[in-house]
Amino acid sequence: MTVEIIENLKRAILAYDSEGAASLARKAVQEKIDPIKALDAMTVAIRQVGDGFGKGEFFLPDLVGAADAMSAATPIIEEEIKRLGTSRESLGTVVIGTVYGDIHTIGKTMVATLLTADGFQVYDVGINVTAEKFIQGVKKYKPDILAMSALLTMTAPEQRKVIETLKKEGLRDKVKVMVGGGAITQEFADSIGADGYDPTAPGAVKLARMLIGR
Amino acid sequence: MALKGFRRNFKPLQILTEEEVEAIHRGTLEVLWVTGVRVEHKRALKLFEKNGCKVDYNEMRVRFPSGLVEESLRRCPSSFVIKARNPRDNVVIGGDVTYFKNSCGMQITDLDTWEPRVATRKENYDGVTVLDDLGSLHILGPFTPYFGFEGVPPAMAMPESCASKIRNSTKVQIEGFSNASEIFQIEMAKAVGAEILQQVLASPPMTWYKDAIEALFRAVEAGFPVAVESGPTLGGTAPVTLAGAMITNNAELISAIVLAQIIKPGTRVVADDFVFPMNMKSGAPAFGAIGSSLHQVAFNQIWRGYGIPVYNVTSGYLSSKSVDFQAGYEKAIQGILSGVSGANIIGLHGSVSSAITFHPIQAILDDDLAGMIGRFVQGIEINDETLAIDLIEEVGPIPGHFLNKEHTRKWWKLEQFVPQVADRLTYPEWMKTGKKSCLDYAKERMKEILATHKPISLTPSQEEDIEKILEEARKYYKERGLMSEEEMAIYTESIKSPNYPCE
Repeated sequence: MTVEIIENLKRAILAYDSEGAASLARKAVQEKIDPIKALDAMTVAIRQVGDGFGKGEFFLPDLVGAADAMSAATPIIEEEIKRLGTSRESLGTVVIGTVYGDIHTIGKTMVATLLTADGFQVYDVGINVTAEKFIQGVKKYKPDILAMSALLTMTAPEQRKVIETLKKEGLRDKVKVMVGGGAITQEFADSIGADGYDPTAPGAVKLARMLIGR
Repeated sequence: MALKGFRRNFKPLQILTEEEVEAIHRGTLEVLWVTGVRVEHKRALKLFEKNGCKVDYNEMRVRFPSGLVEESLRRCPSSFVIKARNPRDNVVIGGDVTYFKNSCGMQITDLDTWEPRVATRKENYDGVTVLDDLGSLHILGPFTPYFGFEGVPPAMAMPESCASKIRNSTKVQIEGFSNASEIFQIEMAKAVGAEILQQVLASPPMTWYKDAIEALFRAVEAGFPVAVESGPTLGGTAPVTLAGAMITNNAELISAIVLAQIIKPGTRVVADDFVFPMNMKSGAPAFGAIGSSLHQVAFNQIWRGYGIPVYNVTSGYLSSKSVDFQAGYEKAIQGILSGVSGANIIGLHGSVSSAITFHPIQAILDDDLAGMIGRFVQGIEINDETLAIDLIEEVGPIPGHFLNKEHTRKWWKLEQFVPQVADRLTYPEWMKTGKKSCLDYAKERMKEILATHKPISLTPSQEEDIEKILEEARKYYKERGLMSEEEMAIYTESIKSPNYPCE
């Protein structure tokens, strides 16, 4: 039974079935399946899609479909993990979002999905995220990495603002900052004092590993 | 079973009014009766006379009554199958379907200097292997890929080219004729259970040489389809005006169609357009000129009216000497206009500069172009599912989006054409690759194809038959003094190589 539910959960993610994944997650909790095992299984599934994306076998609609199914099921499983007072070993924790004034979701979601697939614990704080909201996220989740996206030239300076705010709050040395998005270049990333930049989503995963020395 | 090609989903581009089409048709009938066509072939002249033409044997001039002309056009099937060695690769020519065919080059081009040189045997066979692999290439052209290759005497170029295509590809081939090479080409096709679309070329203005008519007789009597074409330059071998050239070119093609339908009623015919403005500085055809497209588009309109499938070979030929901006626009403009005006076969892949040079790399690049043109002619699918009204309601305004929808996952692959070797990277990604261009990607793709694509090979008995037919051809040309002792010595050595026939 346990094996069957976990396999079906994996399958639901590979079928981009959000409702199915959520209901299977609830079933897993009811059946008292080890939530860590369930989360691991989902990570295996999303990694499969992420790897396929890297190889050009899967495309953006697949990646986003799988990510949606994953995020439908994850909160249910995480709630159970918290209730049991256990925790799951992850590669590292990332808070990610698109900066204030910018509502571009796709690039950020790609990076979040691939990071999850690689074994990071990712907290996606969404789009149009103010500096204050980023700081709240950093305080709440205590991440190893803060990742920010900006597609528009006009919104890129917002990344500088977030970094400045981190400094003011005395949090800058607590977290590595990586930036990306269409408007960003290595020169810009250097100029605002970010720890890393990469133009591609798979590159961002490598960068994240490098930043935390894994 | 057959290759699907690309089905056009909208009315073809028409640039002539009905009255203009009628004026050209009337003019063609008038010229066929008043001026007539010179046909340098006795047996053909007798057949023409027997079927109601006025024949002047001294001048070898045939004048065609309109009734016979129109009856002959009606006898041509409007669509038909051409059999390939592997039934999977059959093609069904006609209707709203477009297939792509490669163009050719006498020699291979050097990718650094862009200079032509004679291809090696291996390069010839590798070229065919690449063409066999390309997904938007359905038919192999004559003289393909090269007009002969190292070690092969000119007399044997055509039979050797035909053999290389039969050995390394299962796709249908069009074949030309030279020194009666059609005898051996037809035999080779029959040996592997395939058909050849036999090209027969008029000699403009208004003349058919003996060799072309011989090839027509042989193909039609073998029950094979024929592609009739001429190759005039406007102002040289046809009137300089597109309208006038339409009349002479059509008269030339129709005179051969009348003969084909006399020899065997119902013979499958494709009408091919191969017409160029003349470069008034050099006298050479102006390859890639927009005048060719005007001619092709009007030609497609007129011949669709005749109910005869149309073939646009001109679209594959360019004036540019290298893979550059000019090459891109010359091929793209000609190709897309052929596509939207309803050509059933478009010549496109592989030629780099006119018919002087060919390179498989260019064919790989052109396969993306063919895919784009093919996607365009397929048009826009309109139904409840594609209109997506319920989905639009479901998604609503921001933060809704369509990327996570089943509808997107299902339809993007049907709606989009994704090129294989075009550079579509972002600037940072592109810089990371070392600034690779489509040409670099095409080079990589060629290596990959040659490493992985294995054309379906002939059975041992088929291979034996092909070699036997080549041996007959060698004997035939030797006896007729078309191969010198010196040529034979080099040729024999290459045949004796342990890697024969492929390298």
